Amino acid sequence: MLFNSIDFAIFLPIVFILYWFVANKNLKLQNLLIVAASYLFYGWWDWRFLSLIIFSTIIDYSVGRMLERKKNQINRKVLLWISILVNLGFLGFFKYYNFFLDNLVTAFNFLGHPINPQGLNIILPVGISFYTFQTLSYTIDVYKRKMKPTKDYIAFSAFVSFFPQLVAGPIERATNLLPQFYKKRTFEYSKSVDGIRQILWGLFKKVVIADNCAEYANLIFNNSGDYSGSTLVLGALFFTFQIYGDFSGYSDIAIGTSRLFGFNLMQNFNYPYFSRDIAEFWRRWHISLSTWFRDYLYIPLGGSRGGTWMKVRNTFIIFIVSGFWHGANWTFIVWGALNAVYFLPLLLTKKNRNNLDIVAQGKFLPPIKELLLMFLTFGLTVFAWVFFRANNIGHAISYISEILSPSLFTIPKFVSMEKAFMAIIFVVIFILIEWKGREEQFALASLGLKWRKPLRWTLYFMLAMTILLFGGSKQEFIYFQF
Amino acid sequence: MRKFIFKIIAFSLIIILCFFLVLSFADGYTDDWYIKFTTPRQESLILGTSRAAQGLKPDVFNTICNVNMFNFAFTITQSPYGKTYFNSIKNKIKRGNRAGVFILTIDPWSISSITENPNDSVNFRETSLCLGNTENVNVNPNFEYLINNLAGNYWEIIARKYVKGVKGSKFLHKDGWLEVSVPMDSAIVNKRINEKVNGYAQSSKHYHYSTLRMHYLKKTIDFLNNYGDVYLVRLPMHPRLMEIDNDLMPDFNDKFADLIPTTKGYFDMTSLNGEFSYTDGNHLHKSSSKIVSEKIAKWINAK
Repeated sequence: MLFNSIDFAIFLPIVFILYWFVANKNLKLQNLLIVAASYLFYGWWDWRFLSLIIFSTIIDYSVGRMLERKKNQINRKVLLWISILVNLGFLGFFKYYNFFLDNLVTAFNFLGHPINPQGLNIILPVGISFYTFQTLSYTIDVYKRKMKPTKDYIAFSAFVSFFPQLVAGPIERATNLLPQFYKKRTFEYSKSVDGIRQILWGLFKKVVIADNCAEYANLIFNNSGDYSGSTLVLGALFFTFQIYGDFSGYSDIAIGTSRLFGFNLMQNFNYPYFSRDIAEFWRRWHISLSTWFRDYLYIPLGGSRGGTWMKVRNTFIIFIVSGFWHGANWTFIVWGALNAVYFLPLLLTKKNRNNLDIVAQGKFLPPIKELLLMFLTFGLTVFAWVFFRANNIGHAISYISEILSPSLFTIPKFVSMEKAFMAIIFVVIFILIEWKGREEQFALASLGLKWRKPLRWTLYFMLAMTILLFGGSKQEFIYFQF
Repeated sequence: MRKFIFKIIAFSLIIILCFFLVLSFADGYTDDWYIKFTTPRQESLILGTSRAAQGLKPDVFNTICNVNMFNFAFTITQSPYGKTYFNSIKNKIKRGNRAGVFILTIDPWSISSITENPNDSVNFRETSLCLGNTENVNVNPNFEYLINNLAGNYWEIIARKYVKGVKGSKFLHKDGWLEVSVPMDSAIVNKRINEKVNGYAQSSKHYHYSTLRMHYLKKTIDFLNNYGDVYLVRLPMHPRLMEIDNDLMPDFNDKFADLIPTTKGYFDMTSLNGEFSYTDGNHLHKSSSKIVSEKIAKWINAK
């Protein structure tokens, strides 16, 4: 089920009413309702893959229980590895099987021993990368004794399958989300209103910004050979806002929806395009994944402790794995490696934690230096997105080559340019609202709160009508494929 | 909780009402097909692809043949003969008497498929387009059509209606005729013809004759014979497009040998190709549409 579909617009109020009016007196019943609703939400796409979620849930719940009983460290390690192998095994099979096979064939061909194995027609289960990482965080935390394993199977199932964040995050930690299923939730008016505002803003980001930008990003990337360098720059910019609007929009809708049910999810995006260096960008982009890799991969590898070589190695590992997590394609790996290259100078010169504050906090405009740094970081990010969006490495290289040609200095030109102008206007308005709200959890959090009621409601009305009337043609959420 | 629910419901209702209010402004400027889904059931129909949608004027038939003609032709993507088009025709036809006149325009494209297997009806493109996704073809305003087919462009309903620059060059009349007003300077026309010829030459490589589509054309004729007289017409086109049509289906007329006796007649106008003007080689200019419609109407009257 997509957040921006009529199905979800019917599903959400029904679950909301049942949750607060029918199941409100019994915590177990509320959790059971969440599990049922989540399975319905997921099964709407393809019910067959529900079995994967249920299997993962059973494995990690059982491993957690057994970890509590086993005192022997070797036995505990074996249990941990069972969980890791099962979860990553599913992920590896469904997501990476054909990638590895293709590369194996290429390698053998290159060595002069052609092989011809049969590829499989595998459907990638939606959200597998997200819920796999979420359940893994539980097992690892239980193994490390950071948390006690749960004895409540229903609560654990609800934690694994919680529908607002099941298919595209934020990837919640068991330490944050699971305890919320143990406590009785009470309806809070202000929290729910906040939730609705965040959903509204998320829909605006997804439907108006991402879907409109997607139309032109797809047009330009899919026909990049026909366009000048300046048009290709525009295409990369459209994709830059598409992916941000798409993914952070989804996160906003997920967080807002969770609030309606009394839950608090972690912030997943913190205005990344206003970052002053790449390290800051990665503290603000897909925070739940970055921190996951930091805690479960980077730190266990030694983090930034040790010598220069160790730092370089760990940085490359974490960025390349992060890139590979996004998809089974060399483009994602190069995208990850490129970000490692951006990040390393900051790490090695110990400048990676220079910008921990909010840019131009309490001010309307940033100082010139910070503005220039923001533009530079934004430019580097846009450049890296070309690899992320391109169909393959060759495509990315030819795309960039054309950008670096004299045609960069021509006027951009592509079909339906007049219509694209409207998308650009929306992006500009969007940037201004995001800039104004950059000190908040989401840009609309405080916008209009001090205004008179009619004016505030007019703002909500305008936003809702813009979503309905100006939404681009419906596109799948990009991160569903990850 | 009550306050919250009340506010949400009130807000949603206002938004939904305003949204549907905007949709209700849809008209002939909205897109090339909307109006065809908003009129009541029709007694007489023009059927076929975009050649007929732009090339045949119902008002001319009304005057000459004394009928109430409606143009229910779309494009080669949307309305090749097949189950989808057949079902829509069934929904559009006014039943009860046998007073109708049905002009079925035919060309190689409308009985061919772009799918690898030309009879692979599951993958026929039209199934997911307007004729396939709109069950109700006789209601005004047709929200089902607008929601299924205009997603992402609802603002254009207002813009196309009131903003001059956005209006575009097309207007769909209430009788279903799509009027196209484009500059006709020879240089521009030649450019459009070249583009169209190149496009069709490329497309023709992927099109294959479909016995299933032919079967549905027969079925459509048999069905319409219950409600009036059926005429088959092959519309004129620019000679360069004619070459592509001939390449695609050299035995085009032979394929209809068995079908013609089940109708009131077949009028092949391609011998007159050179007599008319075309906007892009494939479609008649509106001045020629009138003349072609008159010729067909007179031919029908003479039958």
